[in-house]
Amino acid sequence: MSLADVIASLLLLSGCLFYVAGTVGLLRFPDVFARLHALTKADNLGLFLICTGLAVHSGSLRIAGLLLIVWLLGLLAATVSCYLIARRAVRSGQMEPPAMEPRS
Amino acid sequence: MIGLAIDSVLALGIVWLALQTVRSVSMLQAVLMFIVFGLLMSLAWARLHAPDLALAEAAIGAGITGALLLVTWRRLQADGHDPVDSELPAQSKWLTIPTACAAALLIVIVGWIALQLPAVPGTAGDLAWQRLGEIGVSNPVTGVLLGFRAYDTLMEMAVLLAAWLGARAVATTYRPGALPGPVHVEVPLVGALLSLVVPISILVAVYLLQAGGSAPGGAFQGGAVLAAGGVLLFLTGRLEAAPRTSGLERVGLILGIAVFSLMGLMVMATGGHMLALPGAWAIYLVETALLLSIALSLVLLFAAAPGLRRMS
Amino acid sequence: MNPSAVIYLLTAAAVFGIGLYGLLQSRQILRQLLSINLMGGGIFLLLITLGGGADGRPDPVPQAMVLTGIVIAVSATAFALALLLRWHELSGSTELDADAIADAIADAVADAHDD
Repeated sequence: MSLADVIASLLLLSGCLFYVAGTVGLLRFPDVFARLHALTKADNLGLFLICTGLAVHSGSLRIAGLLLIVWLLGLLAATVSCYLIARRAVRSGQMEPPAMEPRS
Repeated sequence: MIGLAIDSVLALGIVWLALQTVRSVSMLQAVLMFIVFGLLMSLAWARLHAPDLALAEAAIGAGITGALLLVTWRRLQADGHDPVDSELPAQSKWLTIPTACAAALLIVIVGWIALQLPAVPGTAGDLAWQRLGEIGVSNPVTGVLLGFRAYDTLMEMAVLLAAWLGARAVATTYRPGALPGPVHVEVPLVGALLSLVVPISILVAVYLLQAGGSAPGGAFQGGAVLAAGGVLLFLTGRLEAAPRTSGLERVGLILGIAVFSLMGLMVMATGGHMLALPGAWAIYLVETALLLSIALSLVLLFAAAPGLRRMS
Repeated sequence: MNPSAVIYLLTAAAVFGIGLYGLLQSRQILRQLLSINLMGGGIFLLLITLGGGADGRPDPVPQAMVLTGIVIAVSATAFALALLLRWHELSGSTELDADAIADAIADAVADAHDD
């Protein structure tokens, strides 16, 4: 097992860990906003780690570039769909938006 | 060993999701379970060495079918209640489970016997592999679709066209842009998403078409990705249903069938067999026409409309 | 014999059976369409499982046929959903049963005579 394989495996495993965390949040958190918070943040990082792991494993710049595009598209889709779901939740009056605490 | 574990988990997931699709009380939940079922099927195709199918399933099975089911569910919602299953009459209820089990058992028996059979040399698939060089592409699935079983592909285009004709004939009282609810409310982020995703869907479609000769991809996958871009434009209110089919749309709809048939007949004029395409350039030409027709038919089918126009 | 092939064979059979059960036990048209799609998925899986070459060279013919099948399935589903929406518009129902169909036909015939 080469060094690159070890690094790739570690990246893939930690990526999976973030996905598990995001999914647990989706299942356990009480309301729409908390669930979105868990899902989008953890999964975006998880996807990044998995894409990086696969890029290291492939050892090819072309594939690394394609995986980068995959990650960016995933980010874009997650951002917009998260926003739309949160917006819908606020508009339909199911839920007060979470209070923004002023930064001190 | 790890492969086997992945297959088992995938198989359990697929069966569980199928069960949820038929068992869940809420119809929305059933639709969502079915969409996830499509995604897992796409992974199963990848595991079964069928990357072409994985691409098609992700774009069509999970993507377009999913959007179509959700939009239909939403339209059925217009009078405000989720459709709920009514009780079946008792005399037919007790038969459902035994019938389903018998069908599953039959498939297991037939499949088991088929798996035991020794591999026979000279099947259609073997011949396709051996003679792949003659038709100028190295992806065997593209080769079979356009080289060895071209009739199937041509007829498939006819089915797609017929389905759209049926849908537009049925949806007579179609109201332009008739999606209930605040779907068309303008959201700034959606515009930003579209301005990136729609060009990318065109780029990916062209890439898949070009790659289809030697790697997973081809007219069907590319057409589905392009159609997904069109469906997105329709859902976000950039395009709306038009009362008539424009001349350009008519050309686009029959382009695949027309180019494919003309090429096939031209080959006959020079002494070849009908639909035996003369080389890679002909395959790419036909595939381009197929891609455009598939994408346009799928978007029009999605809208169940005679045509599309820019939202005024 | 390849153990993964057995796993996917059992999955194909189970998915088909579940789809058939769903088709028989529900009268909601939408659920019936989902069930038919499940049955199709089971059959696709069966075709590909049986066509998996042992030497890592899968048979391209079933793959091409299933690819065709996936596109046909989506077009048939889209047509069926258009029919469902029309039926819902005419009858106000999302279910199919003999009485509702008879009523809808009687209405249509009456309308045709009025014109």
